[in-house]
Amino acid sequence: MSGASGGLSAPERIKRGKHSKRKKRKRIGFALDMTPLVDITFLLLTFFMFTTTMAAPQAMEMSIPPESVPIEVKENELMTLRLRTDGKLFWNMANDEPKPVAIKDLRKIAEVENLRPEVQNKLITVLKVSEDAKYGDMINVLDELNLAEMKISDVITQKKDDKGNPEKRKRKFTLAPLDTADLRLIKGL
Amino acid sequence: MPKVKKKRLSFVIDMTPLVDITFLLLTFFMFTAKFKTEAESQQKFFIQRPKVTADTSKIPERNLAIVKIAIRDTVDGVVVNDTTYNYELINETDRQQVWASLEGLPDKFKVKPMLENISLDLLNTVIRNTRITNPKTVFAIDADRRIRYKWVWDAMEVMRKNRATIFNYVTEKKSGF
Repeated sequence: MSGASGGLSAPERIKRGKHSKRKKRKRIGFALDMTPLVDITFLLLTFFMFTTTMAAPQAMEMSIPPESVPIEVKENELMTLRLRTDGKLFWNMANDEPKPVAIKDLRKIAEVENLRPEVQNKLITVLKVSEDAKYGDMINVLDELNLAEMKISDVITQKKDDKGNPEKRKRKFTLAPLDTADLRLIKGL
Repeated sequence: MPKVKKKRLSFVIDMTPLVDITFLLLTFFMFTAKFKTEAESQQKFFIQRPKVTADTSKIPERNLAIVKIAIRDTVDGVVVNDTTYNYELINETDRQQVWASLEGLPDKFKVKPMLENISLDLLNTVIRNTRITNPKTVFAIDADRRIRYKWVWDAMEVMRKNRATIFNYVTEKKSGF
């Protein structure tokens, strides 16, 4: 590179007073035309920039209960979410009437319900998804629940149990199919 | 009016810093570029993954089995436009064993890194054989966000049956953060 920049370095200033004669010294350095080099480099750079996949796939971990063993659940510790074919989401606690909710507002509800003192860390969330719903919608619902989880586990792990150890967050979540009884409940909403 | 020709003073721009930076970027992109795996480059479909914000974990690279549920336009040249199950196993030694254990699989499929357009029954068999061959295998479901949920549910039921109850959904990070 030094050869190329040689032509640009400051001229020598030795013995050059106001009245001294300019003496042109023949330089031995040479200038290298860097244009093709720069061209190729930019070409390669743009190639690698466009082919690199910055959006590496992410993983959303999921665990499902093993083959159906019926589990007894207290009614007031159950939160049901129902996702209908048209992508509409309904939620209810225990045996309340299902209420429609926009998927993006689910986070707030999940936080509030999970942090109510009487059900804290005991609440079970059931997501019932219609077979004809879009998979993308179902993932959006899971995403909102995961977002809510950050605050929930934050609050719970700050508490101390009887022995003074920080409490552990036990997340209870399960997936279930949306059956006809569920459909009847959310019909007309 | 006579044109007055102005004497142009030629000038030279020092390109050295530019070249320096360009080379730096070039080497950076060259080293970070991740090339597609064998199966990915042969893959004839594109999965539009669901976009999420919450998770940041990367998908494991070893001992990974991916159930790909994709919308395919063609299968062997025939237009189908339908959702299909595909199964890919990253670990090569496991893959050879599992593929060999499948009875009735045509030989031309046995050399491929991915089983394409398979039925639920076959999916069940492959997952079971994968679990037997290497119990440490991590499962992932890579599904298109536009497909019907039933396809994913059926795949999950198959995994549940084979006691693969912990798995990953392959997603993509929502841009904008």
